[in-house]
Amino acid sequence: MRALKDNPAGKLILLGVLVCLVILPFVLPNRFYVRLVNEIMIYALLAMSLDVLLGYTGLLSFMHNAYLGIGAYSTGLFLMHAWSGSVWLAMLAGVLFTLAVALPVGWVQVRTGGLAFALLTLAFGMMFYTVAWKWYPVTGGDDGLMGLPQPTLSLLGINLASSGNSTAMYLFTLGVVLVCFLFTWRVIHSPLGAVLEAIRENEERASFVGINVRRYKLVGWMLACGLAGVAGSLYILYRGYAGPGVMGAFEGAGVLMMVLLGGMGSLWGPLVGAAIFIFMKDFLSSLTQDWEIFVGVIVILLVLFLPRGVAGLPDLLRRAKAE
Amino acid sequence: MEPILTTKDLSRHFGGVLAVNLVSLSVYNRQVHSIIGPNGAGKTTLINVITGRLGASDGQVLYQGRDITHRPVHERVRLGISRTFQITSIFMGLSVQENVRIAVQSHLGGSWSIFKARSGLSEVNAKTQAILERVGLTDVLRQPANSLAHGDQRVLEVAIALAGDPKVLLLDEPAAGMSPAETDQISELISALGKEMAVVLVEHDMEVVMKISEHITVLHQGGVIARGTPREIASDKQVRDAYLGGDQWAPLTSV
Amino acid sequence: MGWIATTVDIILNSLVLGGIFLIMGVGLNIIYGLNRVMNLAHGALYALGAYFGFTMVALGLNYFLALLLAPVVVGVAGLIIERLLISPMRKRHMIYTLILTYGLMFVIDGLIKFFWGQETRFIQLPEFMQQTVSVGPASYPVFRLVILIGIAAVVAALMLLLGRTRLGINMRAASSIPEMVSACGINVRRVQISAFVLGCILAGTAGMLAGPLFTVFALMGHDILISSFVVVVIGGLGSLRGAVVAALLVGFVQTLAEFFVTDMAMVMVYMLMALVLVFKPLGILGEGKFE
Repeated sequence: MRALKDNPAGKLILLGVLVCLVILPFVLPNRFYVRLVNEIMIYALLAMSLDVLLGYTGLLSFMHNAYLGIGAYSTGLFLMHAWSGSVWLAMLAGVLFTLAVALPVGWVQVRTGGLAFALLTLAFGMMFYTVAWKWYPVTGGDDGLMGLPQPTLSLLGINLASSGNSTAMYLFTLGVVLVCFLFTWRVIHSPLGAVLEAIRENEERASFVGINVRRYKLVGWMLACGLAGVAGSLYILYRGYAGPGVMGAFEGAGVLMMVLLGGMGSLWGPLVGAAIFIFMKDFLSSLTQDWEIFVGVIVILLVLFLPRGVAGLPDLLRRAKAE
Repeated sequence: MEPILTTKDLSRHFGGVLAVNLVSLSVYNRQVHSIIGPNGAGKTTLINVITGRLGASDGQVLYQGRDITHRPVHERVRLGISRTFQITSIFMGLSVQENVRIAVQSHLGGSWSIFKARSGLSEVNAKTQAILERVGLTDVLRQPANSLAHGDQRVLEVAIALAGDPKVLLLDEPAAGMSPAETDQISELISALGKEMAVVLVEHDMEVVMKISEHITVLHQGGVIARGTPREIASDKQVRDAYLGGDQWAPLTSV
Repeated sequence: MGWIATTVDIILNSLVLGGIFLIMGVGLNIIYGLNRVMNLAHGALYALGAYFGFTMVALGLNYFLALLLAPVVVGVAGLIIERLLISPMRKRHMIYTLILTYGLMFVIDGLIKFFWGQETRFIQLPEFMQQTVSVGPASYPVFRLVILIGIAAVVAALMLLLGRTRLGINMRAASSIPEMVSACGINVRRVQISAFVLGCILAGTAGMLAGPLFTVFALMGHDILISSFVVVVIGGLGSLRGAVVAALLVGFVQTLAEFFVTDMAMVMVYMLMALVLVFKPLGILGEGKFE
């Protein structure tokens, strides 16, 4: 797939999608779909952050959603107990807290090789899930955080809307996700991104060109977790609620599947993957209670036949045409 | 003249096996120093310990007088010690240009700039171009490394090793799997490099070793059994016995 | 008097829990050592063993017979999985196989829920196993002692298999130097497949043994999976001896933690894991593979 900057058709499509997204809440009468797309955008951000980790640094995480959860809970708790006035402050608090948690965990994890790293993300992820589930006094246990205040969205001192307004929240989410996407795109294409890619390609050779692999793995990890934390803040602001369910193993597999579906190593792939996954989940769970079998089957089929996901389709088609 | 790299009674064991046994050697600047020995002599293990890929069980590695025995790999590289591997270790999915560029970037700096484009580091780009010209890979700049022929991949690996302006370059069987023509080309390159920096060469191809080395250390079962100039080594009885008259020894008898 | 009984309880419970972890950890490492695959579906196979066993007993089969047969059925399932899913992935990067087994876990879990429903099941134990017996001053359930004996039997069988039989010796050789082994004329592929099936049988055994311990419920595979990974990581990837030591250690720590903190017991275990990794990234015995 050619790089976006060389692909004028790609740029046009992206612009088109952006325009559609902006006008969506004003043209769609059905609030349900506005909220669905809002959710897609949040998970798109989460999936993109996992791609930074997996597609660019080469580290697999089975429960990256744990950091969305941590971001959500900390933002919510900040709003409830510290300062319910500002959305921005709450988001900042949530992201900083997520980074603070991710740092020691990441530090331990990067000391190990790729496989142990992946297993550890599962173990630590389950640990965070357990904490969210059992620490009733703080997290509300199984019930989750409820009764969240709805601060006003303000920009540069001007009060724009209440965060309870779903259109306002939608546009806010779109704006934040867009900024995060551009930021990540910038970092990936920077010299720092080059270092991460080198680590992904050949960790040993990377250290033998003088790269402190552990340090840069930690950088990639922190970046990915920070973005997940942002997604978490957006999540709880949009939903007004956060429960331990969002941090579970199955949801973790879901995020991984979004990246696989869309194609790892291409920043826009996971965005597409998130959209497909959420639509599919919405559709399948209305059909049957056992839809997790389908998720598993689709993961298996993807791995066997379409490991590079949607992003890999153009190459596949090109090769098929050539035969 | 002071040696640039020395090992003092360097040893490495695996369980009960002593792979490197009290090896002491000195490497001098602007010299090609070859390490030879029959299979299993411990040559690659020695290189691994010197470069930090494996830890030393005993003894020291001294670089420019400083003890680097316990320094991590990336620090040794930054000090000026570079290597290539017996089994090609390059960035297969990246382009030829990027393979060298990232190595140069790591050396010259700029890895923390997140708001520049990768191609925005002009000094890095210039140096990358220079290295690729030197090794003759400029016509395959944009090709992914995994599409290169085997011989070109080995050359690329040398290019990557050069990116860090090394003062000591350790090459582990660089000519492995190469055609005679390619072997000649890379020998010339190594010989030329040997005039600018210290080169440590592990090679099985005796013709190459004899032609370009200034000094040879012979290992057998982990220990040093002989040192000297190519001529001295060729006539050393112990060395001949160690190789047990195998084919590897044939070219030497004609020196 | 109270604390002696408690100590006996804790020791015996640690051995039971550690023993289950041992069987799971060793099974994981056997599969990993020969196939380079960390089987994330291992917990689901464990659950499968418990459910098959439950059904067999419910259909009237003798408990001990079910104890022997259920793992075999899981082994057959393992063979099918190996042929259909694992073999085709052999040449691909390990990360993909990892993700595949993760997907497989959800498929098996889902199928279990589909066929057996969501309610907790209880394996009908023979009369004598439902009683307690005095162990010193403590009164200990017989079924737990049976589990301990079962674990010991499995360990003994494994040691025999790996130490004395040709297959076992081939397995040990192939896990260190596969190239050498095939040069000796041994069919490496068959050894690899056998290792995978053996690992699955072990998972099924652990599940069947643990059935009366944890009850048989849909998500039983999840908890044990995480604990098994903790054991494998602490013991060192691929190291059987490490897994044994780690299993007993984790069994003890978890039992102790459950006694004092109940809810957050697993958090203690994760802390232990983090601690071990900081100081010994290759596992406590330092024998793990770094991958």
